[in-house]
Amino acid sequence: MVLHLVALVLTGVAAALFALIIVSLVRQGLPSLTWRFLVGSPNERAGDNGIAPELMNTAFLIGVTWLVTAPLGLLVAIFLREYGFRRRSAVVRPLNHLRATLLSAPTVVVALVVYRVAVGWWHWPVSLATGCLTLAVINWPFMVTVAEQALASVPQSYREASLGLGATRFATAVRVVIPAALSPLIEGWGLAVARLAGESAALVITAGVNVSRHFSLWGPGETLAVHIWYIRTEGVSVNRDAEAAATGVILLLLIAAVVWSSARVARMLSGGEPR
Amino acid sequence: MSMVRDRAPTRITAAATATFAVVGLGLIAALLLGAWPLIGEPRPLANLLGGLWDPLRGAYGLAPFFVGTVVVTATAMALTLPFSLAVAVVLSRPLPDGVRLGATRVLTVLTAVPSVIFGWWGLLAVVPWVRARFGGAGFSLLAAGLVLAIMVTPTLSLLFYQALRSVPRAFRDGSAALGATPDQTLVRMELPCALPLLIQAVLIAVARAVGETMAVQMVIGGQTVLPTGLTSPGATLTTQILTDMSIFPPGTRGHAVLDVMALVLMVGMYLLVRLAERWVAMP
Amino acid sequence: MGLDIHVNKLSVWYRGHQALRQVSLDVNAGEVLALIGPSGCGKSTFLRALNRLLDEDLGARRTGQVMMEGVDVLAPEHDITALRRRVGMVFQTPNPFPFSIFDNVAYGLRLQGTNDAAALRRTVEESLRQAALWDEVRGKLRRPALALSGGQQQRLCIARALAVGPEVLLMDEPTASLDPLSTARIEELIGNLRGRYTIVLVTHNLRQAARVSDRTAFFAHGSLVEIGPTRQIFTVPQDPRTEEYLTGRMES
Repeated sequence: MVLHLVALVLTGVAAALFALIIVSLVRQGLPSLTWRFLVGSPNERAGDNGIAPELMNTAFLIGVTWLVTAPLGLLVAIFLREYGFRRRSAVVRPLNHLRATLLSAPTVVVALVVYRVAVGWWHWPVSLATGCLTLAVINWPFMVTVAEQALASVPQSYREASLGLGATRFATAVRVVIPAALSPLIEGWGLAVARLAGESAALVITAGVNVSRHFSLWGPGETLAVHIWYIRTEGVSVNRDAEAAATGVILLLLIAAVVWSSARVARMLSGGEPR
Repeated sequence: MSMVRDRAPTRITAAATATFAVVGLGLIAALLLGAWPLIGEPRPLANLLGGLWDPLRGAYGLAPFFVGTVVVTATAMALTLPFSLAVAVVLSRPLPDGVRLGATRVLTVLTAVPSVIFGWWGLLAVVPWVRARFGGAGFSLLAAGLVLAIMVTPTLSLLFYQALRSVPRAFRDGSAALGATPDQTLVRMELPCALPLLIQAVLIAVARAVGETMAVQMVIGGQTVLPTGLTSPGATLTTQILTDMSIFPPGTRGHAVLDVMALVLMVGMYLLVRLAERWVAMP
Repeated sequence: MGLDIHVNKLSVWYRGHQALRQVSLDVNAGEVLALIGPSGCGKSTFLRALNRLLDEDLGARRTGQVMMEGVDVLAPEHDITALRRRVGMVFQTPNPFPFSIFDNVAYGLRLQGTNDAAALRRTVEESLRQAALWDEVRGKLRRPALALSGGQQQRLCIARALAVGPEVLLMDEPTASLDPLSTARIEELIGNLRGRYTIVLVTHNLRQAARVSDRTAFFAHGSLVEIGPTRQIFTVPQDPRTEEYLTGRMES
C-alpha cells in the first residue's frame, strides 16, 4: 500500500498545481474581462485593449484549416486503411513513418518551411492566408492519425458483412465504417480544434503579431494564443499581465467547451458506455 | 462491375494520399535545399558542432542549442515521470466509473491547454521562484524544464494510464489470487506487462518536449552561449529558430543554419518514431 | 490434508442487486465439491467470496462468515494476503502472465520473498509435476508461457496456484474454454489432487461434476437449493428444482 499512498499524494500535488495555475489565471484575468474587452480592438498606448480582431482571426484560421484538413485526413486514412492492394506494406509503412514524423515535428519547423515557400518563393505576405497554409500542413497529419485510429476501432466483421453484400470498398467505408467510427472521429476532431486554437509559435512567424484595421485574408492576423505571447513578452501596455490572463481565460474557455462537448457527443454516439 | 464503380473514389483517395506524401517529403526536401549551402561546405560538422554562436563573425556553432534542448528535455522528463506515473496508477485502480470518466476528461482538456498559458504561468511564478531560490535572472534552463514538466504531465499521464489499462483484468485478479498486495501486483506484474507501452509513452512525451517552442522560449532567457549550469539562461533548437527567423531572411547563411537545426529536429523525430515502433505499434 | 471450510449465511450484493442469499454450507477437508446451477445463480460469486477476490470489486458488499480453522476469514482484520496463499484460484480463461513458464510458477513464491534460486527451481519443478505439465515443458522453462496451448496454459495456472502451497483450490469453470482432450487431462488432474487439497469446482458441465466430484451443491437464483453426495444429487435429488435442472427443464 505504500506505493499506492505515494501515488495518491503525488496525484494530489499535481492536481493542486494545475488548480493553482487555472485559479491564478482566472483571478488575474477576471477584472479585465469586460464587454469592451471582448468587442474592442487592441490599443497598446491607451491601455484600453480589446481582443475582438483576435477572436475573429482565431475563429477564421481554425474554421478554414479544419474544413480543409478534416476531409483530406479522412481520405488519406480511407486509402491507408480500407483499400487492400498489392505490395500493401511497401506503400503503407513508409507513409505511416512519414505521418508519424510529421505529427511530432515541431510546428516551428513547419512554419520555417512554409515561410520559405509561401513568403520567399510565392511572395505571399505574412498574413492570415499564410497562417492558414501553415496550420493546414501542421494539422493534416493529425487529422490522418485521428481518422486512422477511428477507422481501426471498427471491427473487421462490419466490413466483411458489407463487402459480402456486394458493396464496394468505398461504399463500405462511407456507409458502414465511417458511421461506426463517428464517435472517435468527433472526439479527435474536437481535439484538433483545441490544438489549432493553442498554436502560437508557427503563427508568430507566418501570420504575424498584429492585426489589420480591416479584416483581410492578406493582412496580418494575430490569434488569441499569439496575442498572449506578444503582450506578455514584447508588449508595453501597463496592464499587460491582466490582459494576457484575460485573453488566456477566453482561450481556455473556448478550448474546454470544444473538447468537452465533442467528448460528450462522442459518448452519446457510442451508446453511452464509458470509453 | 463493383470494380468499375469503385474506380473514381479510389482515385480520389489515392490522389489525396499522394498529395500528403508530396507535402511531407516536400517539407523535408525544402529543409535539405535550404541547409545545403552549409552542408556542402568543407568540414560542415566541425563548424556546426562548435560552441560559439556569433553569426556576425560567421561562427555558427550549434552546441549551445543542442545542450539546451537535451538539458531542458531531460529535466522536464525527470520531473514529470513520478507525477505522471502516479496519476496513471491512481486512475487505473478500481474507481467509480463517474470519477474515472470525469478525471480522464479533465486530463484530456488539460492536454489541450495552449503552451502560451504555461509560458504565462512560467513568467508569473516559475521564473520569480528560480530567481528567489537560486539567484540570477530566473530565466533559465531549470525554469524551462519546470514549465515543460508541468506541460507534458497531462499527456504523459493519459498515455501511462492507457498503458496500465492495457493489462487485462484477469492478470490483476490472477496476481491478487496468489496473495499479491496491490503494491506487489503493480511492481511485479502490471509495470512489467505494460513496459513496452510505457516506454512508447515516454518517447512520445520526449518528442513533444523537444518540439515545444513557445512555453520554453518565454522562460529560458534566449542566451546563445553554452550554459554553465541548470540555473543559467540558454536556448533550445526550437526557440532559436523562432527568435532568429525575423533576423535572417531566407537565402542568407544564417537562415541556412536555421534549416540545419530544423533538419536535425526532423531527423530526431524520425528516429524517435522508429524507436517507438520498435517497442510497439506506432502512435 | 486440505482444510474444512464452514460457510455461514453468506450474502453478497452487487450494486444493490443481491447475488447470493444466505448461503450456508460446509466443505470437508480433501473433498472435491462441485457447484452447479444456471448462469448467474451466484456460484462464481460464492467462489470469489471464499478468497475475498470480491474485495477487489468496488460495487460488492457482503455479510456472513467463512470459517477456516475457527477463524472468520471475511473479517476485515483478517490478513487477506495470508488467506489467498492458503486458498488458491484457477480462473475460467487461462490467465498466465506474459512472462516465461518459470517466472509464472515462481511468481507467488517470489511475492513471499523467496529468492533462493535452488529453492525456486525445486518448487517450480514439483508444482509442474503435480500439475502434470512437467514432462511437456522440461528444458523449456524459459519459453514464454503464452506460447503454450490453451490446455497447457490452464495446467500452468494450476501449477502456479499450487506453488505457494495452498490448502484449498478454487476452480471457476477451469475447462470452459478448452477442447475435450485438454478437458479430460484437467479432470484427471483434479482426480489426482483430491485428498491433498480441498477443491471447490464451479462447472457448467454436469457430466464433469458427476465424474470428478465427491459432493455436489446446486445453486439457483443466488440460493443454495441442495447439497449432497454427487451420486445422490444426480440420481435421487431431494428438491424438485434440482431435478428440473438436471433433466434440462430449467432454463440454464
